[in-house]
Amino acid sequence: MEVAGDGAQARIVLKDLTKIYGGGSGSEVPAVDTVSFDVREGEFVALIGPSGCGKSTILNMVAGLIPISGGEILIDERPVVTGTPTPKVGYVFQRDTVYPWRTVRKNIGLGLELNGVPKAERERQVAEIVGRAGLDGFEDAFPITLSGGMRQRVSLMRTLIMRPEILLMDEPFGALDTHTKLEMHKLLLEIWNQEQQTVVFVTHDLGEALTLSDKIIVLSARPGRLKEIFDVPFERPRDAVSLRETPEFSALFSKIWHSLGEEFRRTSAEG
Amino acid sequence: MQLSETFWINFWRLFLLVLILSIWQWGAEVNQWLVSGLEKGWQKALTVQVLEPFFISKPTLIWARFLELGCFTDPAGAWISGQEGGFFGCLDSNTNNLWYATLATLRNTFWGFLVGVGSGVVVGLILGRSDFLAQVFEPFIVAFNSLPRIALVPLIVLIFGLGDASKIMTAWVIVFFIVFFSTFEGARSVDRDHINVARLLGASDWQVTWAVVVPSTLAWVFAVLTPALSFSLIGVIIGEFIGAQVGLGKIIIEAEATLETADMMVALFVLMIVGVGLALLIRRLQTYLLRWQSQFSGSGQ
Repeated sequence: MEVAGDGAQARIVLKDLTKIYGGGSGSEVPAVDTVSFDVREGEFVALIGPSGCGKSTILNMVAGLIPISGGEILIDERPVVTGTPTPKVGYVFQRDTVYPWRTVRKNIGLGLELNGVPKAERERQVAEIVGRAGLDGFEDAFPITLSGGMRQRVSLMRTLIMRPEILLMDEPFGALDTHTKLEMHKLLLEIWNQEQQTVVFVTHDLGEALTLSDKIIVLSARPGRLKEIFDVPFERPRDAVSLRETPEFSALFSKIWHSLGEEFRRTSAEG
Repeated sequence: MQLSETFWINFWRLFLLVLILSIWQWGAEVNQWLVSGLEKGWQKALTVQVLEPFFISKPTLIWARFLELGCFTDPAGAWISGQEGGFFGCLDSNTNNLWYATLATLRNTFWGFLVGVGSGVVVGLILGRSDFLAQVFEPFIVAFNSLPRIALVPLIVLIFGLGDASKIMTAWVIVFFIVFFSTFEGARSVDRDHINVARLLGASDWQVTWAVVVPSTLAWVFAVLTPALSFSLIGVIIGEFIGAQVGLGKIIIEAEATLETADMMVALFVLMIVGVGLALLIRRLQTYLLRWQSQFSGSGQ
């Protein structure tokens, strides 16, 4: 049994995970190079690095959306098989992926619908979660009429309604403005405080990573290698806004920023 | 004293309509009267012929023929209601009366549209989602599509006869390709992440098809419903030109043979009304079906 340092069980284990795009006789592009780390039960981990460092690729491999090229990924000690998603793993995309032809209610209820949950029960659960997301009154609206932030809340709720134990998030708030982003951080922290999912959160926004996570994993510029791991010791529950004003936040920010800065410089020097 | 823009738009529309109808009605006479003073024969011949009722008929004549073909009046111009046999007797005496003709054209347009859209969607979805089948069928589709469909009409009439089947088939071969290509394109451009989301939520292959592929493809289909319907009407009319027993196209082609311009004009006007009616109808359907898309989601209707 895989046991992490403080005794909590490791739910996700990456061992020398490697991804090479292309392959065959064509040009091979290494994207992820022998990355290893564990994520413990109920832990909120942020993956951060310059763009093109393969952080989204890692997440997609953990979700089983794309095949791995080397190493292994274990979720609850079972290797991930590409193309066979498990219901206990939820995934939130960076891109706007709400279904434009479905109303808010039907977008959020899709997972339940696909799993054969009866309509009455579906409606009940959707009504409950819509309230938590502050989407009341928009149940029958089509996504085209919603703002970007509201649409992303719909995506988030569509995933959360399935009560995933593990939540994979690929820069879910990357396309939102600063204010909306902070609102989403509040909402996510609120939900996470209650449900304590195991989260892997990909971002390139250090402030966001510090606000939300217990552990920040810094990846190097392409090909992505594990550079450094930082613990984020801030007390919970956290306030997404006031946390940013504390000296501890600033201190840790500049420390990680320095580590990250080297990688950003490497990226810009290359490209 | 602020008259709205709508008022002036309608005012000029009405003015233009009256102007057109007046020129049509009296243009030839006025022209003749003007030219009669002139000696030059060539000029007379040229100008008079432009508005010759033999070619373009006259509004009053067209109206009279409309009433007669529509079984409102008898050939003498007396109202038919109250006469022996009445309206229905008149309908029976002429199998290609305006009512039966319009009904036949509409019915065949509807079926051609329905069969064309249905088959186009099914084939488009299948080939759009299967690269293998798409590659197998590609040369056949390209070859068949590059053939002007109109050229097939005589063959269709030969095979399916003068009845409804040949009209529906003609409409079908035209409508099918419009819908097929759009569906095919739509099925190929389904958002990958939309499919991934459904899979991550636990959807089976079938569920992905029904919950994601079909609805996202149907948006492409709904967008071509308007051309599909008008092309269905075109197909039916052409079918009726080549060989038919009833239909508006039949009235037109018969009027050409008997030099009855007024009859032809009657059929053309009815076709115009039918076309406008169908366009309005399909527009409403489309507004409803695509209410989730930006360009249709306004307060609109």
